[in-house]
Amino acid sequence: MKGLTHFMSGVALSTFLQAPVSMCWEERSFILVLGGLFGIMPDTLDFKVGQFFSKVDIEVECDPNEPDPQKMAEQIGMAMEKAYETGKLVKCQLYPMRLGVDLWRQYVIKFDGETNEVVVIINEIVTTSQKPYAGTAPKENRIGKYRVKCKMLETHGRPSVVDIMSGPQYGFKRAGDRVEVEFLPWHRTWSHSYVLGFILALPVWLIASLVTSWSIGWLYGLVAFLGFAIHITEDLTGHMGGSLLWPFLKERTNGLCLFKASNPHANFSIDYASLCIIVWNINRLGPPHRVFHLPAPFYFFATLIIPLGIYFSIAKVFGKKGKKQKVGVISAEDALAADAAAKNEEMRYELDDIAVSD
Amino acid sequence: MEMALVILFYIILGTLIGCFFSLIPGLHIYNVAGMIIVFWLGYQGVIPGYAMPAFFMSLIVAFSIINTVPSMFLGAPDESAVFVMLPGQKYMMDGRGFEAAALTGVGGLTGITVLVLMTPFLYNVLPSVNKLIGGMRSYWIMALVITYMLMSEWPKGTGMGKKTVLGKIWNAWQNLAAGIFTFILSAILGFIVLNRTFVPKEVAFQNIMPAFVGLFAVSSIISCLISKQDIPKQHIGKSIDLDPKLMGLGTFSGVLGGGIAAFFPGVTGGIGGLLAGHATAQRDDRLFVISQGVSKSVYYIGAFMLFFVLAFGAHGTGPLRRGGMAMILTPIVQPMSGQDYVIIVATVLIGGALSFFFLLWSSRWIIWLISKIDYRIINWVSLVLILAIVIGFTGMWGLFLMAVATFIGLIPIMFGCRRSNCMSILLVPICLSMAGVGDTIVKFMGLS
Repeated sequence: MKGLTHFMSGVALSTFLQAPVSMCWEERSFILVLGGLFGIMPDTLDFKVGQFFSKVDIEVECDPNEPDPQKMAEQIGMAMEKAYETGKLVKCQLYPMRLGVDLWRQYVIKFDGETNEVVVIINEIVTTSQKPYAGTAPKENRIGKYRVKCKMLETHGRPSVVDIMSGPQYGFKRAGDRVEVEFLPWHRTWSHSYVLGFILALPVWLIASLVTSWSIGWLYGLVAFLGFAIHITEDLTGHMGGSLLWPFLKERTNGLCLFKASNPHANFSIDYASLCIIVWNINRLGPPHRVFHLPAPFYFFATLIIPLGIYFSIAKVFGKKGKKQKVGVISAEDALAADAAAKNEEMRYELDDIAVSD
Repeated sequence: MEMALVILFYIILGTLIGCFFSLIPGLHIYNVAGMIIVFWLGYQGVIPGYAMPAFFMSLIVAFSIINTVPSMFLGAPDESAVFVMLPGQKYMMDGRGFEAAALTGVGGLTGITVLVLMTPFLYNVLPSVNKLIGGMRSYWIMALVITYMLMSEWPKGTGMGKKTVLGKIWNAWQNLAAGIFTFILSAILGFIVLNRTFVPKEVAFQNIMPAFVGLFAVSSIISCLISKQDIPKQHIGKSIDLDPKLMGLGTFSGVLGGGIAAFFPGVTGGIGGLLAGHATAQRDDRLFVISQGVSKSVYYIGAFMLFFVLAFGAHGTGPLRRGGMAMILTPIVQPMSGQDYVIIVATVLIGGALSFFFLLWSSRWIIWLISKIDYRIINWVSLVLILAIVIGFTGMWGLFLMAVATFIGLIPIMFGCRRSNCMSILLVPICLSMAGVGDTIVKFMGLS
């Protein structure tokens, strides 16, 4: 889920508690803000701190001026082989290719389980909005392929498009007779644990108790924990789960694969639902006399179900049909298809030549 | 009938005055409105009292649409337009500045239409929501906005070639640190400006103007002058690249962002746009430009329209004052009946239509101007004009304040962090004052 979604869910969940809402209404307390702050905290820990501590074994050469897809594919493939041979986790870091203030060279990495190949495709130059400039894809040396000597197991499920801001890190580790490809091995591990949420809530409780009083300090800790916990729970809806009980169980579980974390409809629905819940709870628990008197089923039907029904109807009518793919992936697939067609053509001419010479 | 004609006259006059002054880089319509009020207090017969709301609304309608021109072509945005700058300037670099201006204008008109259609919502739903999370109780919503603004900025450094953990963190954290630094400096400046009058007392309502001009307009112009980019030849097309889906998405996002900004104090169109952008996950430049057009009109016009929604006053709290225009006009204009709202709606529609045509004309004119005169010279002229306005309105102290704000405004430009961090100049002092801790901080800073 996106940051705003986690943030709003954290606040919404906190509003179910009578005391924080009353404190907010009567005492001008900032306690509900903690729900939002800790709602976004797990990703903050990962992206602002954790990722820099993840020790990289191989840094792939991503030269923005003269990108060499073949060399890149070889470096990634060899890292996989090293993981297979040593049985250790090998981390491989890729970087974006920045060409200017607002210009980036896009490229795609594909782990092809069928051919057992690592494929790197250099795409068009894109803006920071990820809009490609037509005709800027390299005319030559666009595709690099490396056939890995050991069998690969790709769990991420789709090619990675690298363009702006930061590049992905892959973790390769031996799993039986194969090498498993782990996307962002530093993400959703220790930071996405209910245990860590509890541990982080303790100093909040302590500080709040010292600043306010021991009788209400625990509420601050509880709100912080709820914000943290809803983030981890929401992330389970995606493909990548989390290390829910780290440090007791360090393995990263898989998600429920209900929708992608970046799905705009899912994110917007949860944002909007959070807003409706916040208003409902503030009205229910805040003022001494409620501002509006509506039964819960009617309120949520009128403010949540009907508007979201309209939203999804419009999205269904005007939205893209079929399986959605990133523009970068489409461009890369086209390049691969063109490459395959060119090779088939070459093969046909060679066969014709052989036939003629025979 | 005669009264209606008089009001119509002042709508047209207000729109024309608003259009003209909105073209001047760095000059905010609230400054113009303040000057007109000072003038009006001396010559009260000039504008009849019943035409005042329509006149001032037409000023703000014109500003919300025309301000795109100096923002985009002359690099001098106001606090809500800084977000439209990057995609807008990208269009300029592709020779499509006119298209971007037209897209923003179409967005502005759509925003106006949605605002008018939202009348039942403004009367029946929003007053209850306001009672729950608006007014003085919106401090925690503002705190949420501030927290999210700070937390949602992510590292931009790639860390490429950095071997140590510290090296990687430093590389990645430069923009984040710059953002936090900008946020803190702007907040301190906000406390100072809102608690100490630096300008002559007769123009005390312009106190914050030099700070805003420095943070957003002058810093942008300086960055334009430093960048030394050449503006390519601009193409004036007869049509724009826009489809209903994009229009719908842009409108949705813009109404959301502008609505948040119009309703919550201290939140500007830019911040509202940022939140709406995250909620709707927009990436397309065209969508962004349209949504910013919608957002600006919903923010500026919507905030002033709320002043005339009598349902807010029904709770005994008086009219809802959002945005600078409502604040400035409160002492002399009070909504009296539902008819005032009807007049305001008519003003918005007429003023919006006139301003849109003026936008197309003025964009062509500016494009012609930048084809004849070096872009840098225009930037220099803009800078001199802004300095003259600031000195003229607020004196040398205003100039000093502007200079300080300019340095703060340059930090995000130089380090690639969000310029919305500068909005802590209003957000933090207002939020903390509403929460009841403003006075303590003011005392701590030695400002009381």
